Amino acid sequence: MSEKGIVFDIQRFSLHDGPGIRTTVFLKGCPLRCRWCHNPESQQLRPQLMYKKEKCESCLACVAVCKSGAQFSQNNKHELNHSLCNKSFACVKECPNDALKIAGYETEATAVIDEVEADFDYYKNSGGGLSVSGGEPMLQFEFLLELLKLAKSRGIHTCIETCGYAATEKYKEIMKFTDVFLFDYKATEEIKHKEMIGVENKLILANLDFLYKSAASIILRCPLVPGVNDSDIHLEGIAELSKKYPNIKGIEILPYHDMGKGKWEEVGFEYELKNMKSTDELVMKNWMIRLQQMGCKTAVFS
Amino acid sequence: MNIKYNFSVEINFTDTYKKYKNEHIAILESMCLQQMYPDILCKIQEEDGFAGRLQMSYIGFSPEIGGLGYYCDINKIENELSKSEYDNEFKGKIKSLMEFWKTENTLYKVRVAYSEHVAKALPDDDWMTGYRAAFPLYRMGGSYLDYEKLLQNGIPGLKRVLTQRKTLATEQRADIELFEAMERALELLSKCCIYYSDMAMELYSVEQGPVRKQELLEMSASLKKIAFEKPETLREAIQLSWLYSIVSGSMNYGRMDVYLGDFLANDVETGVLSIAEAQELINSYWRLIVARKSTWNGRVVLGGKGRRNEKNADQFALFAMEATRVVEEIEPQLTLRFYQGMNAKLMEKALAVIGEGRTYPMLYNDDVNVAAVSKAFKIGGEEAKQYVPFGCGEYVIDHKSFGTPNGVINILKALEITLRNGRDAITGELIGLETGDFKDFITFEQLFDAYKKQVEYLVDSLAEQEEIEYSVVGKTAPFLYLSMLYDNCIVRGKGIFSGGVKYLGGTLESYGNTNTADSLAAIKDIIYVKRLLTPEQLINALDTDFEGFVKERKALQGAPKYGNDNSAADEMAVRVHEHVCNTARNQINKVKLHSYLIVVINNSANTILGKQTSASADGRLKGNPMANANAPSGGNDKKGLTAFLNSLVKLTPEIHAGMVQNMKFSPELFKNSGIVVKSVLQTYFEKGGTQAMITVVNKDDLENAMIEPEKYQHIFVRVGGFSARFVELVRDIQLEILSRTQY
Repeated sequence: MSEKGIVFDIQRFSLHDGPGIRTTVFLKGCPLRCRWCHNPESQQLRPQLMYKKEKCESCLACVAVCKSGAQFSQNNKHELNHSLCNKSFACVKECPNDALKIAGYETEATAVIDEVEADFDYYKNSGGGLSVSGGEPMLQFEFLLELLKLAKSRGIHTCIETCGYAATEKYKEIMKFTDVFLFDYKATEEIKHKEMIGVENKLILANLDFLYKSAASIILRCPLVPGVNDSDIHLEGIAELSKKYPNIKGIEILPYHDMGKGKWEEVGFEYELKNMKSTDELVMKNWMIRLQQMGCKTAVFS
Repeated sequence: MNIKYNFSVEINFTDTYKKYKNEHIAILESMCLQQMYPDILCKIQEEDGFAGRLQMSYIGFSPEIGGLGYYCDINKIENELSKSEYDNEFKGKIKSLMEFWKTENTLYKVRVAYSEHVAKALPDDDWMTGYRAAFPLYRMGGSYLDYEKLLQNGIPGLKRVLTQRKTLATEQRADIELFEAMERALELLSKCCIYYSDMAMELYSVEQGPVRKQELLEMSASLKKIAFEKPETLREAIQLSWLYSIVSGSMNYGRMDVYLGDFLANDVETGVLSIAEAQELINSYWRLIVARKSTWNGRVVLGGKGRRNEKNADQFALFAMEATRVVEEIEPQLTLRFYQGMNAKLMEKALAVIGEGRTYPMLYNDDVNVAAVSKAFKIGGEEAKQYVPFGCGEYVIDHKSFGTPNGVINILKALEITLRNGRDAITGELIGLETGDFKDFITFEQLFDAYKKQVEYLVDSLAEQEEIEYSVVGKTAPFLYLSMLYDNCIVRGKGIFSGGVKYLGGTLESYGNTNTADSLAAIKDIIYVKRLLTPEQLINALDTDFEGFVKERKALQGAPKYGNDNSAADEMAVRVHEHVCNTARNQINKVKLHSYLIVVINNSANTILGKQTSASADGRLKGNPMANANAPSGGNDKKGLTAFLNSLVKLTPEIHAGMVQNMKFSPELFKNSGIVVKSVLQTYFEKGGTQAMITVVNKDDLENAMIEPEKYQHIFVRVGGFSARFVELVRDIQLEILSRTQY
């Protein structure tokens, strides 16, 4: 019996989470609460209900089977109160319009790696492999470790995408089975970090330093959200890191896009950036110019 | 104002036919051809770099374009007669022609020759509207002529071959009519050259522009030359092969890089043509092919194993791909065969052209296909190197084998009637075998056996039909122009379909394969394994088009689907594939054909046949399109490109004669010099991928093109075995293409 974990998606032919053609496995659960999160359904560790309101035709089939009172009707119209949901998910099967979905399912590490291995030849020819993302994959540490170990034992290149917020000891252990770290760097100012992301950045920076000094292969990934975390101070921060860590494999700038917006509503969370649009090309150009002026020569868009 | 059509070709043709009807069939054909050519050749247009346009007569002779063999197109004639003022006497005369041809046309003769068995299984000829699982088709399609032989001999050289052969026949006291008729056909071809040469001179004399004047002069000279001598330049070689193509009714142009490569190299080397002039000549040839509108055909094959002049052929191939890039049209259907070790420039160029959205060239992997063709056709490896896909993608062996696709089987319909003990779900008519009541099948295997019987019954009938069609056609005419350029007709002294061609084979178009597999997988999973539904419930759900069975439909849709690298779904696809392919392939034990093979090609038949097919157990609604060729049903491949490709390669290529592999890519994959697409294709082909027909398009552009078509004329898509301007497709087909997953 291999380790079990909660996965919410396996994306094959993934081109943006590390080098080459990859399969990205998304694990549930995240210690951070970034305001711009693209995968809000990943934040909770447990499987959770997602509801696409526009698909609902108020047939009320879900209401009939819901014992928690989360699904209810008001004036014959369907309503959902996510906070009451008892995660029985009885409603999902009943919905004729696929308006209801479960985000996250429990699976075994071997089953995941079996699927990952199916594209082995594609990894080999493109320099790709497995990427584990999330959520924050370090949160399901044992499961992650098992995934990486299995992948390595089958000759598969591995990446993890991490926010850096986990015990340094754990990075030390996982390092042995990780070929590339996609390490997020989201804010430079201490206070802003706490405000925008929900935690302090000390531990994150310490882990980055640890990994770098341990000669881990690192690609720094910097999501930039216009007007939120694209201040000069933060851009300077990125540039500083590029100088402090000259042997870093790459710096990728991830411009904000609004494709995750709908999912906030689906999981029943309030989205603060409701009116934010995907990043304008001019803004992106401007970031790049500023970064270069600040001495960061290696940043590219991802 | 309507210009009256004078029907002179039709009248003369019919008179001549009546006069020579009791002569040797070769003489009859040669006399009839003289009534068509050069009369049905059309005027050289201002943009034409070569002479040769054609408008088929309403009554005439052809392998397939006007109709099968001796044909009479009643619909077109009636339409013409209704269009303009013809007096009653004239109308009466034309009607008497139609009356005569009613029982004299070749299609009729094929139909009445059916055995009782075939007539019962295939009662309906109208595959586009009929409620049947199988239909016969009437044509001698997919000829690939020996253009090398034509160009290396020229008309005079071919005549010498015939003279020698005739002498031998005379010595052996054998029939000489075939050779005499062939000689007449060659003379007729010379006459057509002169006809156009004179026309070019006339145009020359009135032309004002100096550039065009010079062009017309060269055109005229080259036509006069090839009428009596063998071609020496690229211009002459193209002109001769083109004229031969149109008078013969052949619409696929073979391994052009081989037969034109030396001419090109020689002209460029000796300064007859500059690089730019050579390119323009080929571009201009492309435009003429476009004007012929042979949409489902028009194949030009480049690259691959078994080319005698690889260096020169490669050079031609690069020019040809450039022509496709700049001419921006839906023809020719440029086809690139490739193998490990072939000049890498060809694949580089191919991907660049594909990346620009041309849908060409289509890529064929010789490292897999040559061995597969060798097994499927049961021929040696050297001969297999000469495989050429024609039309929508049926393989034949270049000028050695014939494999007209003369049957259509809709295996999803076969499953539909199996579930209803032989009855059509929509009409209720008994149209298949009574294989037992679905509800009495206790195991899935019992159902599968019944489905197999249903398919076998139809395939048996279709193979027999193909044999009969060849036999009747072979007794009707030798098809002189085809026979002269097909192995071994002259040697054997026989017409192509009368025992002349080296390998007389057949192909059968199979549709609905993916939906059938997905339906069977869903039935197995939902009815026999999980027991969520009973057979009766399923039939009720299907018969009501899932009206009131939303939950049931969802369960069926949730069953594993082909195209996701899912073993349960893909194993079913393999079972369905191997069964129908082997059923066809084993027909050679029953009928006198060298091979009889399934092709999983696609024109738009997946959409058209889908309209006549009831709701299916994979969740597809009644009348909706079926999946294209062996691609996943639109949108059912949810696991990404690699998973889709992994599913594709599970279906063995060794038991069929071609399977269209359509893929829709976003321009993103071609970024950074196509690094991703190269890697994907390399791996896919290493894993056994046979071919790739790639459409590169933005999804948004397709959606916008449906709203503002005038702005999106430039978008080309691969429908299946042919390409089209997206905006010119009917809405149903546009939607089907839109539904396909884009990677």
